[in-house]
Amino acid sequence: MLIPRRVKHRKQHHPKRSGAAKGGTAVSFGDYGIQALEPAYVTNRQIESARIAMTRYIKRGGKVWINIYPDRPLTKKPAETRMGSGKGSPEWWVANVKPGRVMFELSGVSEEVAREALRLAMHKLPMKCRFVAREGGDF
Amino acid sequence: MAANEIRLDAEARTEFGKGAARRIRRDHKIPAVLYGHGTDPVHLTLPGHETMLALKNPNAILTIVLEGGENLALAKDVQRDPIKPVIDHVDLVIVRRGEKVTVDVVVHVEGEAAPETNVIVENGTLSVEADAMSIPESLTVSVEGLEAGSQVLAKDVELPSGVSLAADEELLVVNVTQQISEEEMEAELAEAEAEAGIEHEESDEEAAEREAAEGEEGEGDGESEGSDDEGDSDKE
Repeated sequence: MLIPRRVKHRKQHHPKRSGAAKGGTAVSFGDYGIQALEPAYVTNRQIESARIAMTRYIKRGGKVWINIYPDRPLTKKPAETRMGSGKGSPEWWVANVKPGRVMFELSGVSEEVAREALRLAMHKLPMKCRFVAREGGDF
Repeated sequence: MAANEIRLDAEARTEFGKGAARRIRRDHKIPAVLYGHGTDPVHLTLPGHETMLALKNPNAILTIVLEGGENLALAKDVQRDPIKPVIDHVDLVIVRRGEKVTVDVVVHVEGEAAPETNVIVENGTLSVEADAMSIPESLTVSVEGLEAGSQVLAKDVELPSGVSLAADEELLVVNVTQQISEEEMEAELAEAEAEAGIEHEESDEEAAEREAAEGEEGEGDGESEGSDDEGDSDKE
């Protein structure tokens, strides 16, 4: 699973969720991709789960790119704990994804296979997404 | 080669800033700027739908009709909305007939490589120098019968006459790699699933197989237990 090897601050503020993606909004490496349509925190488990789902479907053909990285820690206080006594302990690693961001890319397979593989992967992600293709695609 | 010239009727813009630009976009038009060849930049408004259709080919030569005059232009930069299928702004650069321009042209792959290989396009566009009026729409690379480990470099790409390569000759365009074996892939995915704590739900077929196997084992155990009992009774 993706996890930072070393961080400057173990506990951070929650990442901002407003606005749209500033970059990485087009398919740049592969031929097809998954684009986020809503903001969300995507955990490293969700990223891994989506990768496994699409890799299982495309079998041995094709190549997968992951364009997001879970570099922000989220903390959680234990259950049945009174407020105060400082911030909770890091519980999840998340990528702060904003609308428009192309999160996964795929190449080396037909469009039909790519659509199904990415559809399966979308079900593992916590936001509305859409299938996009290189060279404009939907545009 | 590039399709026929596309004519776009432009209007000069007199007011600027985000307020004016948003008013233009609300009218289904696109703010644009035209510059090049040492001329002062001209701010324009282009028709939205026609411009969007024209820019389906990123290297299309556009004839911009402005206040009676005509200018040939090439889209240098197109800003698109990250979510909605609309164009926010276009930068147009003036070109002259017979002028050489450097543009990025899309690379298409055709043919089937050898079995058990993956064809990966490492660079989807190639920078070429061509006559402004005859820019190729795409370049084709054949991977027919290529074995694993083969590479197609920029210098290997066949270019139409009058077109020369502007990119590095050693730039990797297409890479043909060996497919990972099924066992390796299964092992890698199983390890990843174990690390992520992913558990598979049992399918109906798998459940039936498991039940059948358990049934057989149960019968076998029953027989052995029966014989033990008999043995015990003998001892008694």
